[in-house]
Parts: sequence; structure tokens; C-alpha cells
Amino acid sequence: MMKARDVSVYYGPKKAIDEVSIDISPDYVTAFIGPSGCGKSTFLRCFNRMNDTIPSASVTGSIELEGDNILGDSMDVVQLRARVGMVFQKPNPFPKTIYENIAYGPKIHGLAEKKPDLDAIVERSLTRAGLWEEVKDRLDDSGTALSGGQQQRLCIARAIAVDPEVILMDEPASALDPIATAKIEELIDELSGRYAIVIVTHSMQQAARVSQRTAFFHLGKMVEYGPTSDIFQNPIEERTRDYITGRYG
Amino acid sequence: MNNTADFKRPTRTPEFEKRLAKRYRAERTFKLMGQGAIVFSVAVLIFLLGNMLVNGIGGFQRAELAVPITFAESGLTGDEVSLTAPSAVQTLEMQGMAEVVQLFAEKALGERGADQLSDQAWRDVAAALTADPALLEKTEPMIFNLPASSDLASGLAGEGSPEMRALAKDLVSQGKLAENWDWAFLSRSDATSPQAVGIWGALKGSIFTMLVTLALAFPVGILAALYLEEYAPKNRWTDLIEVSINNLAAVPSIIFGLLGLAVFLAVFPNLRSAPLIGGMTLALMTMPVIVISGRNAIKAVPPSIRDGALAVGASPVQVVFHHVLPLALPGMLTGTIIGMARALGETAPLLLIGMRAFVATPPTDLTSPATVLPVQIFLWSDEIDRGFVERTSAAIVVLLLFLLLMNSIAIYLRNKFEKTW
Repeated sequence: MMKARDVSVYYGPKKAIDEVSIDISPDYVTAFIGPSGCGKSTFLRCFNRMNDTIPSASVTGSIELEGDNILGDSMDVVQLRARVGMVFQKPNPFPKTIYENIAYGPKIHGLAEKKPDLDAIVERSLTRAGLWEEVKDRLDDSGTALSGGQQQRLCIARAIAVDPEVILMDEPASALDPIATAKIEELIDELSGRYAIVIVTHSMQQAARVSQRTAFFHLGKMVEYGPTSDIFQNPIEERTRDYITGRYG
Repeated sequence: MNNTADFKRPTRTPEFEKRLAKRYRAERTFKLMGQGAIVFSVAVLIFLLGNMLVNGIGGFQRAELAVPITFAESGLTGDEVSLTAPSAVQTLEMQGMAEVVQLFAEKALGERGADQLSDQAWRDVAAALTADPALLEKTEPMIFNLPASSDLASGLAGEGSPEMRALAKDLVSQGKLAENWDWAFLSRSDATSPQAVGIWGALKGSIFTMLVTLALAFPVGILAALYLEEYAPKNRWTDLIEVSINNLAAVPSIIFGLLGLAVFLAVFPNLRSAPLIGGMTLALMTMPVIVISGRNAIKAVPPSIRDGALAVGASPVQVVFHHVLPLALPGMLTGTIIGMARALGETAPLLLIGMRAFVATPPTDLTSPATVLPVQIFLWSDEIDRGFVERTSAAIVVLLLFLLLMNSIAIYLRNKFEKTW
């Protein structure tokens, strides 16, 4: 679904990502792992061009979404971000009601004009995010009044509401307690198949639980990529083995 | 190895206890200083307001003579039609209304008393007649409390010539002269006698000027702040603009008056003294304050909100107007309150553009000559007649109340838009 070929990212003169190529598909969850500062979040942000918001950042190479080059001038960034959604490390619901949080995306993209259609989208998104039962009676409460885990599921529901093809998750559970984390991981499992999911995580155990393909990054290069079980049980590269066994992190 | 029996933890020594006590003392001192500062500020505020109120109470009263008038015996004629026509007052004037009122006054107060009736007092009676023409039929006497002359008013207050003071004492003992509440002060306009002045002309002028200032400074200031924070590239030109706006906020207000005189009045020479020009001049002065506070309010909006909105596919304009602006609005309104409060009290720039003329009628629209509250206060404080002293204090009270009202509206709006994120 998404193909990245020889992608490099520069912050000014400094090269942060060095010629990385990878395929993303809805058939499997992809995990990016690696030590802090290796560039996994930077690379993730290329897929929905969030690096555009950083003035000194520049991206070279090609990334294709269903055949369309997303890095070209002809790609409408606003439309791209409706097709490739993102969930951030710290839950960031809008300071509006729960209903309005979910409804905002569909409204600005014109996906639903009438209230009943909008209601249906809100209910469907919250259900798919596993939050409907908990909030269906208080859709007019503020989104920021929920607990951390609920806020993150709200953000996932918000990303789902515009019916994207890909969902990018940047350490979605790192700010949550273990029970909320388990709920998020369960959710990722359910969503996989319908959406292509890429998850950045600093927890190897989480990568092992949740993903089917794993890419190991180190100092801006993708050192190794393959099925999760292979990476964790039979890593080829020495650097991968050292990271997996906890030599450095 | 240390001998554990001799080893004393550094946190258990008497020196530590002394230092700890010193730290607590410092805490208490600081707290007391803070409370002292607050008490002092509140005391100054109460003293200022109390002083104004005490002096201003007298300004809301005036010396009035009680004159009973029997309309049926007055010899005045008129009916429903003639008394509600626009020329009704002139008609009554031509019938000799002033002399009629004078006659009734002489009957009630004696010749000396009637002499001290304000020479425009008959207009109050005329106003009553035009409001209710049926009064002309009345056979019972109606008592009118008509303004006394300013000499007699001074006499009543214990100042002025000895004859006036004696006359005033005499009339008071007969129950014919009294200091009454003068609520019409709030509906009349400027005049030559302190007995006849009102604050409405200046108040309406201030309202019009404030409306023009707000209508010009608020949108321009907010949009400038949004552009500078969200869209402008960070280069030498935008740095220059930022420095210029900061300096503009510090320019003395009289310079803006010179600017208004040189530029606005050159373009609209016939609009001297108009609230439109006054408002434009004050808007120039207020806009930098709104831009600076607006930029700070926008900077305070966390980037996580913007990222969240961008990630869902909002365009930059949508991010600004749907997410950043609502969150920055409380801070922007605070800056607007500060700017507008300063503009309300400004006298110097408005004096330069001519809003210092004697304006006896309230302005009808934004282009008619007007004056504003601080200028009116300044003009009255300059008057020789002692009766103006209390009127000046009353005008100050009205100005403070207007300021309070404006700020309350803005604070209400700010609290309404306050959201937590």
C-alpha cells in the first residue's frame, strides 16, 4: 500500500535518515524499533508529511501511497493526511466535546453533511476504537476530561473517523499505565487488516506482541527488516542482536 | 571505618536546626510582604474611589426652587397637536412662557427669590408640557422644582456673597429651596452654568469613539498577531516589524494626536471633533497593545493541539481559526481590555484633533462634533464658577463607572471563552 524508496531526511545539513526503503501493507502490523535518537519517529513522520511543519527539514527519495508519489508538489497535503492518520505519544484530544473531537475530521473533509450521517460516523469510530460503551451517554463531555487511556483511544477514534488507509502510531502507549497499554495493543490487533498500521515503539516486548514485521533502526539507517519472529529470535546483524539482548538501548 | 557512635548525620546537628528556622522565617517574611503589598494596593484603590465618590455625590445634586404653577390660570394655549409638534417649544416661547413662569415664581418666592431662578428654567416646564399636553387643563397647582441660578446655588453651599447666603438660608427655612437629586445630569449636555450642565453629551461621545476604536483596532490587531505568529517567515523583515510594533506601543499618546491632525484631518478637514477621527487616532494607539498580547496568547497554545489538527487533515487556515484562535482568545481579550481602558482615559491626542470644543448637544452620529469624558472633565476643571467643582467630580465618577462596565463585559467574555486543555 505504501512504498518508501531511498528516503533520506535532512535537518538543515545534518542527515537524520539515510536511504531507507520499506513496504507498508494492511496485511501486517509494522513496528519500528531502535534506541533513542535513531530516527524512527522522524521516518514515521515522513509518511504523512508532518516533517513539513519543521522549517529546516527536507526529505528526498520517494514515498508512494497506492501509486501516488506523496512527496511531489502535486500531492495535496491536506488530502494525504486524511488518508494517512497519526496518533501521537502524548494523547492530544481537542479541547472540545467528545462528539466534536470525532466529528471534526469528517466535517472539514465534507465526508458527512447531515447530522444523522455524522452521528453514524461518530458511533462507528468510537465503537471501532473500543470506547463507545464508555462514552455513549456523555458525548457532550469535554474530551480532555477522560482518563489518559480513554483519551488515547479517543485520538485513535479521531484518526479512524476520516476512514484512512494507513494509521501511524508514534509510541502510542508509552504515556499510559499497563492496563491502558494492554487495551491499546488489543485495539491495534483488531484494527489491523482494515488499516495498514505502523507503530514506533521503544519497548521490544510490545513490538514482539503487536507486530508481524519489524524494522530495526540505528543512527538513521535501517539496519535490519523482516518478520518479527525472525528479528527477535534469529537476528542476522550484530547490532540488531546487541540491541535485542539489551547490550544497549 | 567511622565510629558509628560519634557519627552525626548532618541533618541532625543544631546548626542545621538553626538554618531550618531561618528558612521558615524567610518564608513568613516573604508571605507577609506579599500580603502587605496587596493590602497597600487595595487601600490606595479604596482611598481613590472613596474620595471620588464623596466629592462626586454633591455633583449629582443641584439647588432647586419649588414653583407651583396653575396651568389653567396661566393664559397659555395649546392642544394635543400644537404641543407635540417639533416647533412646540418655540410656540410656547412666543406665547411668553418665560414671563409666565417668572410671574408664578414671583408669587411663590418673592421678587428677590424669583430673580435667582435660572433664566432657562422655563424650558423644564415647557418640556413637561410637550410630554403631556393634558397638563394644560389642570386647575390645581403643580409644583415644579426648577434650577436656581448658580449664584444662589453657591449661596446654598455656604459660599458666594453674604446676600446670597442670607437669601438661600431664608428660602430654605420657607421650604422653597432645596438640594435635590439631579438624575437629569445624566441626560443633559454641556452648558455655561453648572446648574444646567449634564454628562450625556460627553458620555455619548465616549461611547461612539470607543466603538470606532474597537471596530478598527481589534480585527486589525488580532489578524496582525495571527499572521506574525502563524504565517510570517522568520527573517530580518519580520524582526523589524516586531521591533516596530513594540516601540509603537511605547510612543506617547500625544504623538498619535499629531498624526491624527496631520493625516486624518488633512484628508477629512470637515470632520474635526468627530468621534470617527477620534476613534481612528485612538485605534492607532491601541492596536500595538492588542498585537503584542495577541502574539503572546497565540504562543501559549501548545503545539500538540496544532499537530493533532494537522494530522487529521486540517489546512493551516483551519488550524488557526478552529483551534488556535479559540484557545488564544482569552489572552487576546485581556490585552484588548488593557488597550481599551487606556484609550478611554486618553485626553491629549483628542485635544489635538479638536475634540475640545464646547459641544452643547450630544452627537447624532459618528461624524457630528463631540467631546469625550476625560476632555469634558478637563474643560470643567478649568472653569471659574465654583459650582463646576462638584460637577467635575461627578463626571469622574461617571467615567469610572463606564470603565468598570466596559471591563466587566470584557471579563465576562473572557471567562466564557476560557477552556482548559
